[in-house]
Amino acid sequence: MLQFLAAAHKEILLLRRDRIGLLVLFLMPALLVLVITLVQNHATRTIGESSTDILFIDYDNGGIGDRLARALSKAEGVSLTRTLDQNPDQASDQAPGSRKPARKRALRAVARGDFQLCLIIPKGMSDNVRQTARDSALEAFSMTAEDESAASPAADLELYFDPTLLPSFRSTVKNLLQLMIVGIEVEEKAAALSELLPRKIRDALAEASGPMAPMLSSMPEPDIEIKWNPRPIMSFREISALETPLEKTPNAVQQNVPAWALFGVFFIALPMAGSFVKERIYGLQYRMLSMPVMYPTIAGGKVFAFMLVCVVQFAVILCIGKWLLPLLGAPSFDMGAAAPWTAIVVALSAILAATGYGILLGTAVRTYEQASMFGPISIVIASALGGIMVPVWAMPRLLQKISVFSPLCWAQNAFLDIFVRGGDIRSVSGDITRLLIFAVACIAIAWRVHHRRAGRGARLN
Amino acid sequence: MESFKKTALCAENLTKQYRGISPPAVDGLDLSIFEGEIFGLLGPNGAGKTTTISMLGTILPPDSGTITICGIDTRRRPREVRRLIGLVPQDIALYPELTARENLSFFARLHGLRGEWLKEGIRKALSAAGLSTRAHQKVSTFSGGMKRRLNLAAGMVHSPRFLFLDEPTVGIDAQSRELILGKLQEIRQSGATMLYTTHYMEEAETLCDRVAIMDRGKILVHGAPRKLLASHPGCRNLGELFLELTGKELRD
Repeated sequence: MLQFLAAAHKEILLLRRDRIGLLVLFLMPALLVLVITLVQNHATRTIGESSTDILFIDYDNGGIGDRLARALSKAEGVSLTRTLDQNPDQASDQAPGSRKPARKRALRAVARGDFQLCLIIPKGMSDNVRQTARDSALEAFSMTAEDESAASPAADLELYFDPTLLPSFRSTVKNLLQLMIVGIEVEEKAAALSELLPRKIRDALAEASGPMAPMLSSMPEPDIEIKWNPRPIMSFREISALETPLEKTPNAVQQNVPAWALFGVFFIALPMAGSFVKERIYGLQYRMLSMPVMYPTIAGGKVFAFMLVCVVQFAVILCIGKWLLPLLGAPSFDMGAAAPWTAIVVALSAILAATGYGILLGTAVRTYEQASMFGPISIVIASALGGIMVPVWAMPRLLQKISVFSPLCWAQNAFLDIFVRGGDIRSVSGDITRLLIFAVACIAIAWRVHHRRAGRGARLN
Repeated sequence: MESFKKTALCAENLTKQYRGISPPAVDGLDLSIFEGEIFGLLGPNGAGKTTTISMLGTILPPDSGTITICGIDTRRRPREVRRLIGLVPQDIALYPELTARENLSFFARLHGLRGEWLKEGIRKALSAAGLSTRAHQKVSTFSGGMKRRLNLAAGMVHSPRFLFLDEPTVGIDAQSRELILGKLQEIRQSGATMLYTTHYMEEAETLCDRVAIMDRGKILVHGAPRKLLASHPGCRNLGELFLELTGKELRD
């Protein structure tokens, strides 16, 4: 035990003095989680996965604008702003028509990215819509429009998008607006029809009654009131595929915080491998092999020190997700409903896998240069395959099949199970087992390599 | 007279052949070292000195042969042997980013020292290496001579009964060499036994009680330097004897 602690203490001293190494171990994953999360958080805004900010300007004031505004406000994730001077939350309560931003100023705000889109109801829109609906109803009864020269073409709403928005998001917004327009169109046409129907009935009766027609035409139009029930005739229900629906929505924070924490943890393999290689090159291992202590005890002390670093590193990244990211405008990291020890078990398994890989790397390579070249490349590839940079489901099918061989994939999957899918220890036990088997396999291979090389018969005990 | 001395190390028919290399690195080597003596193992590069020290120091298992140190079989009870031995490798086997004291403390604790024994061992080792005033300085800031002296101190911090020294004075200035050789004499006077390899023949001639000249894995001659020179009248010193026995061709 004394020797184990001596080795761990020595390794901690060395790590504390390796400022560059510490920067790589702590600053790199911290910066990565900050930058990537904030970037992806913004990206999800641009593709509409987060709140959609709409600047709404009603130059018409004829009622159509209000109906559209009400419908948009009811839509999920839409935040409506009517002025540029106020907080959007407050602005939604403001009476339409007051303090309308000038068109140019509004468009500049959209171009700057302050709003994802601007919807303008042009002046005369409501009159135009009603007239068009009336004309349409007249045509439906094969009656000509009362004044054909006055029949106007379909009224256009003006829609301005932030130029950086992705086509898929634009399409989603356009479909939403189209649905609302169809609703308004149906209402207006029904109103026009209600207005026209009594006249049509009277005229039809007059035409059918022959000599009685003059008498019928002098009769008042029948009082027919059509009341449309607003109840939809068709709808759909969204049902969660999980027995217990998710309490929160997966987002950039829930994906990136565990992902980059794992990336940092696995990067420990690099300094660890370097440490093993240096001890071999400097003859320190040779010296230690002549001492009355089993080499695995010394190596164990070293691994323990690196594991401590991993634990601190992991905690730092979680703290960044929990407290720093919200200060920068991203959602706070949510640890999920599972017992905290479940996440701790997964983290420790991942740390064991990472340190196991570090032992293997440090044993298999012959020089520090080999370790510093092969180590980062292998970890970055395993990370990319493991869904650290891009979620596995977003990868091509072939890569998805390969990703199941990445330890980072197992660890990330387990964390997503806990933090997003509401999983527990049973649901992540498979991934934990795979991580532990990986760690044991790495150490076993390292043992074999060490025996074959140093050995050509050298001892480890 | 030698037969009355107690044997500290006895190696018989020691053989080691590395995989893929045809001549054995060590080929049927027999060696006896008596308690309290400094035994010089001399030989050109590739003669098998380091392989021999590695086998004697329990680091490398021999393909065949037996080794006993202080009466203990190194293959059967290696951990007991390791408690008795110290090793000063040819490389500067120290952590450059640790201080002299931290390096010594680490190696001493691996040898099981703790408490007052640990403090005393470190103090003595630092003093022996002439580094007491530099104890808190990082090894990376040391000169070559200071590193060599600390390398020696790390091998003797636990006061071993048998010390293996693989070229401990290579590449250092005369002052550091003088200090190291003086310390080795002191260690001998304290009763420890040493196996010493070097390329400096005059050093071996003055320091060692007995020497063995080996080449191609075999010991060619062994004995006290004076006796060896007496048996080779054409050789004025150990250097000339060495060249006569091992030849003048380059060994790379």
